[in-house]
Amino acid sequence: MGKFENKYILITGASKGIGFTLAENLDNLGAKLILHASSEDGINKLTESFANKGHLIFKADFSDPLSLEEAWQSQINQDIKLDGFVNCVGIRSRRPLNLLKPAHVMNILHANVASFIEMSRLVCRKNGFNPGLSIITISSIAAHSGGPGVTAYAASKAATEAAVRCMSKELFKKEVRVNSLVCGQVNTEAYSDLMETKASADDVILERQYLGLGSTQNITNILLFLLGKESCFITGSSIPADGGYLS
Amino acid sequence: MYCIINDGGDTGYCIVEQLLQLNHEVILIDRKDQLPDSLIKMKSNRFSFYSFDFYQTHLIESELKNILLPGKKINGFVYSAGIGGVRPLALTTTTFVSEMMNANLYAFLEFARLLSKKTRFEIGGSIVAISSVSSIKGLKSKIAYSASKAALDAAIRGMAAELAERKIRVNSIRKGWVEADLKHDFIQDNIALSAQDDHARQLLGTIGTADLAKLVCFLLSDESRFISGTNVLLDGAYTIS
Repeated sequence: MGKFENKYILITGASKGIGFTLAENLDNLGAKLILHASSEDGINKLTESFANKGHLIFKADFSDPLSLEEAWQSQINQDIKLDGFVNCVGIRSRRPLNLLKPAHVMNILHANVASFIEMSRLVCRKNGFNPGLSIITISSIAAHSGGPGVTAYAASKAATEAAVRCMSKELFKKEVRVNSLVCGQVNTEAYSDLMETKASADDVILERQYLGLGSTQNITNILLFLLGKESCFITGSSIPADGGYLS
Repeated sequence: MYCIINDGGDTGYCIVEQLLQLNHEVILIDRKDQLPDSLIKMKSNRFSFYSFDFYQTHLIESELKNILLPGKKINGFVYSAGIGGVRPLALTTTTFVSEMMNANLYAFLEFARLLSKKTRFEIGGSIVAISSVSSIKGLKSKIAYSASKAALDAAIRGMAAELAERKIRVNSIRKGWVEADLKHDFIQDNIALSAQDDHARQLLGTIGTADLAKLVCFLLSDESRFISGTNVLLDGAYTIS
């Protein structure tokens, strides 16, 4: 018996990076997964990787939070009761202030904040979850420490952490826990893409992240802890997974 | 010269009054097109007033062209506009979240983007945004509001890092319960709905509007020239209680 045998867990942003590693781990641990991807490529990757495993696959566009309710209700059997929801969707943004027009800011905030709140709202409907549901969203050290060009991204991650604090105070009565995981630099596709766009191969963040570049497995280990009963006393918090960066 | 962006709130008016008393030139941009009596009485030629609905962020760029004549530079601006609202998660729809983000974040960022241009902003100037302790303290039914204020506080840090090379400082004030705000219906709803004890947690009592305005004036002034990228707490000892 795996640790998460017959537990229903929703992972949004499951086709890449942290979300994908978490999906592989939970699959090995016996969980029944609902895996989300935004793109056709992501859906294909999930379908191939988890063929015949019985997991559900869910396509929805997180940059359009208004579309999520319809997508969720039409694709996922509404009798399923969730035990976990991990939100790994996150759009990166690096732009100087003079190019930070409202349309760009809105796009980042829609994908990173409004869609997370909307999915939480849908998941937390009556009869949609089992008591003990654990919700975790991936945040970033950017929410705590400013850097040039990350204004919109940092704002979006700080917003999710604040939303988590409020949700936890509202949902504890329903036996739902909500936390955010504040990640440092992690070796994902998004990180490689980011490094390719930079002029220098050096990453100044790693000078302060003294445990070095994180792996998606490092982060997954903490997510598994936060999903499980062992963490039943932790809610409303922003937990650092940052290789020492914020210390 | 300072630019105050306000949504009919007493805090904004109070900041204008204090800056005028300090002999500064002040431009007030307000969503409400009526001035309070206290400001009408002041009749200063250092004061100008404009009104438009800047929550429609696409209007800001063209309106600012009319307000700030070429060659005129400002020493700072204050964003004291924004909206509140309480709703449980089940009613926290995307539309509600977007309205909150629009008034509390997008409009501020658009003003910051346009006003911080080299042709408009003096070296050594200061930007101040009014935030809230909700940014760091969770309360049920304030999901969208808290998210928008935390976003604002984080945006400050990014901007401060970027604008430091021009010695421009950017800060926010995390305010607790302020006299001026207690007038608003949503605050009354909030007290009734979820936070009866919350007001009492502010050990020093309600913060006077003038006290908030004084802190704003300090952060605008050269006295605070080494304070940047921070979220200053003005909470009457709320967060420790």
